[in-house]
Amino acid sequence: MNAIEIKGLTKNFGPKQALSGLNMTVPEGAIYGFIGENGSGKSTTEKIICGLIHPSGGEVKLFGRDYTDADVRAKVGVLIEAPGCFPNYSVWNNLMLQAANLSIPNAKEEVVKVLKMVRMEGAASNKYKNCSLGMKQRIGIAMALLGKPTLLVLDEPINGLDADGMRIMREILVDVTKNYGCTVVVSSHILGELEKIATHYGIVRGGKMLKEMTAEELNASCRTYVALQTKDMNRTKSLLSCKYSRVEEDEAGYIRVYDAKDPEEIVTHLYENGILVSEIKIDKIGLEEYYIDLMKEGR
Amino acid sequence: METKFERNTLNKRLKSMLSVDFRRMFTMPLLYIMVGICLVIPILILVMTSMMEGSVSVNPQTGAETVMKGFENTWQIIGTISGAESSDAQMGMDMMSMCNINLLYFFIAALVCLFVSEDFRSGYAKNLFTVRAIKTDYVISKTLVGFVGGALMIIAFFVGSMLGGAISGLSFDTGVAGASGVIMCLISKVLLVLVFVPIYLLVSVAAKQKTWLSIVGSLAVSMLLFTMIPMIAPLNSTAMNVFLCLAGGALFSIGLGSVSDIVLKNTSLV
Repeated sequence: MNAIEIKGLTKNFGPKQALSGLNMTVPEGAIYGFIGENGSGKSTTEKIICGLIHPSGGEVKLFGRDYTDADVRAKVGVLIEAPGCFPNYSVWNNLMLQAANLSIPNAKEEVVKVLKMVRMEGAASNKYKNCSLGMKQRIGIAMALLGKPTLLVLDEPINGLDADGMRIMREILVDVTKNYGCTVVVSSHILGELEKIATHYGIVRGGKMLKEMTAEELNASCRTYVALQTKDMNRTKSLLSCKYSRVEEDEAGYIRVYDAKDPEEIVTHLYENGILVSEIKIDKIGLEEYYIDLMKEGR
Repeated sequence: METKFERNTLNKRLKSMLSVDFRRMFTMPLLYIMVGICLVIPILILVMTSMMEGSVSVNPQTGAETVMKGFENTWQIIGTISGAESSDAQMGMDMMSMCNINLLYFFIAALVCLFVSEDFRSGYAKNLFTVRAIKTDYVISKTLVGFVGGALMIIAFFVGSMLGGAISGLSFDTGVAGASGVIMCLISKVLLVLVFVPIYLLVSVAAKQKTWLSIVGSLAVSMLLFTMIPMIAPLNSTAMNVFLCLAGGALFSIGLGSVSDIVLKNTSLV
């Protein structure tokens, strides 16, 4: 069973078309990395899933039922843009309010539990407005986790988090999928972080789904390359460009040779031309580079 | 395997929504400020008008002298007598007939609008409506909570009027209205809150986070009904007035509540 199934979703904001026939399939129990440029339609899709805005057309199903089904929607946790908290309330009161909203019977224990999960138990009495951006994001996550949701929709949840916060977030998301069987849809521009946890990906552009794939499929389609450093980088680059179809210099100062089957062959070729290789390694392009490449191809 | 979802009955949904709204209403400083204002206003009006009674103001252009009239009776601030028994002073649109309990319906507009728009301004509406596909619970709950808040303000005004009357030494003689008339009047005024709250709620859910728009809109609409209040809930009210107010309240709550529900269902909630 798919947790989310979207077919031909359209959304117009006046003359502007935000979504133009988007299709999306999120299997149950997946951590679905939802990727796209700003204004590509990620947040609009997420808001439609949560019933916060209405689609102009198309079909949205959650766990096989229409997205307006009250019973399904009661089990959706959400963090879109900023956490929806009352600024003058304490963290504790905000969470207790959400617990009341969800009719959680043992609200206090549940709130303590989620506060522990996001490592915010010490800040329960703080007023929400006095919390830092990172703390607010964690509170938003805690709020979304209340009531053991079946589906979590998170829009840029790692924005404003420090390295430790990001690690905690990763642990939480993996934990809720493993232990609660929760399905997570998470959009983020920090692709390196997303890559560490996502089991499925959806890449969206211009209101359309460009590509959907599993982490394994991404892994298989990410090309390997040989990265090397020499004393004469310019000559090395021009020499290798003559032999290999794609040679690029990366930000770290390495020359990357894509589609090279044998690194030894490169070393020998350079040695024959009087260039000594000081460092060489084989690597794979990550999600970020794959995404950038995909975007470039589409342009 | 199909995921099982617990059935959420109306009772359960409404209970949780009411618990959120009552918790919010009674932890909101605005409610206590409003109730405090409602308590103080009649005291100030009664004491100050009593102090100024008899003072003469002169129109510099015509030289005409006007003698300031104060309240003759404490109950005048609660309502006016309808029909033939009323005196000219009571029916006239002077300052005293304007500064009475009917003013509260404007204050209630501020309370309801600020209460509802806070849901949207804080972003709490996202949490609320994500888990609530059915918006009727929200409308019912907000109407009931707005009614309770409004009723508290009216009761506070009534208490303030008693205190103000006692401080300024005004008569508590109920006259032709009688004690039952005053009680019925007060009940009618409380029930009339149910006519106004759905209006304020409708304007607020339409305006969403634009608090100023919801307040201005609510005041503008309620202005149209303002003149109806002394007629439908006079000081000499009977059970018929109470019934009329109750029927009007139910009609407005259901009618405009349904419209609010449609607005919430068909508009963007963020």
